[in-house]
Formats: sequence, C-alpha cells, structure tokens
Amino acid sequence: MAPKKTMMGEQRRKLVTSYDPKSPISEQYRTIRTNIQFSSVDEEIKTIMVTSSGPGEGKSTTASNLAVVFAQAENSVLLVDADMRKPTAHYTFNLTNTFGLTTVLAKQISLGEAVKETNVPNLSVLTSGPIPPNPSELMGSVGMERFIKEAKETFDIIIFDTPPVLAVTDAQILANKCDGTILVAYSGRTEMEAAGKAKELLVASKGKLLGAVLNGKKLENSDNYYYYGTK
Amino acid sequence: MEETISLKELLQSLRKRLVMIMGITLTAVIVSGVISFFFLTPIYQASTQILVNQKKSEQSMYNPSEVQTNLQLINTYNVIIKSPAILNEVAKELNLDITAQQLNEKIIIGSENQSQVVNISVQDENPETAAAIANTIAKVFENEIVEIMNVDNVSVLAEATVIEGQSPVKPLPILNIAIALVVGLLAGVGLAFLLEYFDNTLKNEQDIEKTLGLPILGSISVIEGSQMDTVKEQRGKRNSKARGEAIGS
Repeated sequence: MAPKKTMMGEQRRKLVTSYDPKSPISEQYRTIRTNIQFSSVDEEIKTIMVTSSGPGEGKSTTASNLAVVFAQAENSVLLVDADMRKPTAHYTFNLTNTFGLTTVLAKQISLGEAVKETNVPNLSVLTSGPIPPNPSELMGSVGMERFIKEAKETFDIIIFDTPPVLAVTDAQILANKCDGTILVAYSGRTEMEAAGKAKELLVASKGKLLGAVLNGKKLENSDNYYYYGTK
Repeated sequence: MEETISLKELLQSLRKRLVMIMGITLTAVIVSGVISFFFLTPIYQASTQILVNQKKSEQSMYNPSEVQTNLQLINTYNVIIKSPAILNEVAKELNLDITAQQLNEKIIIGSENQSQVVNISVQDENPETAAAIANTIAKVFENEIVEIMNVDNVSVLAEATVIEGQSPVKPLPILNIAIALVVGLLAGVGLAFLLEYFDNTLKNEQDIEKTLGLPILGSISVIEGSQMDTVKEQRGKRNSKARGEAIGS
C-alpha cells in the first residue's frame, strides 16, 4: 500500500494545475498558456511540442500541466505521449498503457479508440502504447502525419511530450510537423552549451520555436506576485 | 563585447553558497582549534640578559669610545653565543642529549638598537629546561669569552627564572583560530566565486534570452515549504477578510 500512496503523492505534485488550480505554480502555467496563445497572432497554433535538451528537465510535467490549463480554458485538448523510449503520461494520469500512439501509427487501432479520457474535463490523453524497436521511424512516418491531421480535426489543442533533443532524433522529426515547439530548461541544471545545441537542432529541422520555459527557478523575495492581493 | 557583473550578482552568488562558505570557515576554525589545543606541544620561553661592558675599575671613568667598541662587539658576540664552541659546552654541562645545531634552533639572540644589553631567549617544551639552558649559556659565554676574545667585558645582568603557571609562547590558539577564520572565509568565498565562474548552467530568464535568443514563455518557481506556508497563510487571511467584509456590509 505504501508505494501506491507515494505514487499518488508524486502525481499530485506533478499535476499541480489539476489538484491545486489556485496555487501560484498553477498561475505560472496559465501565464505560459497565455504567452503561447499570443506568440503567434497570424496563424493558429494547434499542435505544440514540448521538449528539452536533456533528460530530467521537466518536459513531461510541463506538457501535462499545460494540457490541464488549456483544458481549463474550455479547449478540447489531447496530450500525446510521444516519448516512446521513456513514457510517463500513463503514470501521471493513472492510466493503462496497453495501447496508444504506437498502436495508432501501426493502424492496429483507431485514434478514437486509443484516446483515453481523464478526470480533467476537456482533457484526453493518448499514451505512448507498447515501446517499439524503431521510434524514430514511426515519428517520421506518413502515419504520423495522418494522425496529426486527424487529431487536429478532433481537438483544439494537441500537446506532444517528446524525448530530449540531444538524446535522440525523435524531437527533431516531430518539430517539423508541429505548429510550435517549446524548449524546457531547468534552472541550475541545463547547461548553456546543451541548450544552445538543442535550439540549433530544432531550427535546423525547420521547427517553429515559440519560446522557452524555465523550470525549477528559485523563488526570490522580490517575486511578490505570490502575495498579490494580500495587502 | 565587454562582460560586466553587478555587485548584486556577486552577493547573490555568495548567498547561494553561504552554507558552503560557512562550512569551510567553521571547518578551518575547528581544525585550527583542535590542532592548537590538542596536537601542538606547548613551547615555553625563558630569557636571560647579559651586559657587554668593561668591568669597573677605580681609575676608569665613562669613555664614549669604549661604549662604541662594546656596541660593535655585540654583533660578534651574537654569533659567538650560538657557535658550537659555546653550545657544546652548554650541552655537556646540562647533560643534554642534543647536538649544538639542535640547541641553536632553540635560541633567539637579540639586542636593542644602540644598547649594550644582549637578550638570550631559549624556547623549550619544559620551562625549567628553557631557564637552565638560558642561564648556562650566559654563564658559559661569560667564562669562555675571556679566552676567545681576550676581553673581560661580559656580565650577567638578569638570570632566567621559572614563573609559576607560566603561559607558553607557542602555540597561540586564539591567534591561530583568528588566522584560520580569515583563511577559511577567504577560501570559502574564493571557492564560491570559482564555482560560479565554472557554472555554465542556465539560471534565470536573462540567461535564456542571452544564450538562446528565445522569448520566455514563463518560469516555474520552486516554492520551499516555508514559502508555501506563507502563501497559504496570506491566502487564508485574504479569504477570511473578504468574508468578514461581506457579513459586515
């Protein structure tokens, strides 16, 4: 019983926007949502890819919380776990991973059947599905383009959680197919050189970089917006 | 392009590594204290004074040239006192199982400028031994100088004595601790700046904008437990205040 309790605690911590929507951190995610919406006025951003230069920088947490805040804004949202090497979305939302993106791309199951509802209204999740031997090939396949097209017709916003840019080529391949890419960096952990290289690779793959999200920033005394309206 | 660093940034980098700086300083102080109090052997000092002056005779009167000669002789005497000719005799007389060289290392000879008084200070782990060596050196030198220089112008002015509860001259724990404190603080601050210099990670929004040239969509702060409590407390106050106003209106 104890491990399950710990896992639930971990989930709560990761999905702060769902469990504590009034918290300062949830407000920060809403700020990111607003900035994404205003980052491209000319063309509508429907498919967003969330990535980082290396592992452990908070991609999955950022992607999940962004999906929640977009859903809270009355958007029909699909969170796609495109990290076929180390998938986490099914843990975060407490779902099964017997089928998902890989089974949809392999045409074993339709998108409608593969998508799983969550306890967050307007938010659906497509888990990674069984881990394939050739994730990069699946990312660049015609099936992926077909899947994105179909998802765009069904959902308002599609958020892709992808592997790190420098680790594998998956993110580069997908960046080219998405309307916008968000690069996540972790304060005091992400190296400047690595982040710079990640940006270069994403630009080289003709991905549209919307901007960066800084994770794990130490709260300073000057950050008074936490106490907004308390005086 | 010239890179500038603000005082605020420097202070922030120090504040960030304050625990490390304090740790290094505290470690240095503790190590210094432990070594000073428990490991270093206390060294005691005993001093005797000799006067370089002609023995008074009935005819003699104050002679400035003679005083000048004595002053010039003092430098020679300082060397002779520490020579094996004197020190071997001292070691033999006191039955010391040490060489003249080892004994030499224990002795400090000094004389005030333009003074005919020579100070013989001896440092030893035993205050009695230090006093005995100092007095024996003075006595042996007084006797031997007649043969060495053919002059009889040395007399013992003050003998070395052992004082009850005498404090050692070395080590000086307070001084050692003070030095360790300063050195530890400098080492800690130096290391903090060194780590900051070699830290090539992204730390804030400015770093991202400067390095990547990307707009910042947002930053997710880490809220410590105490800060979160403050947030909740403030939120609670705000809510209760609002409810109170609603009732009162």
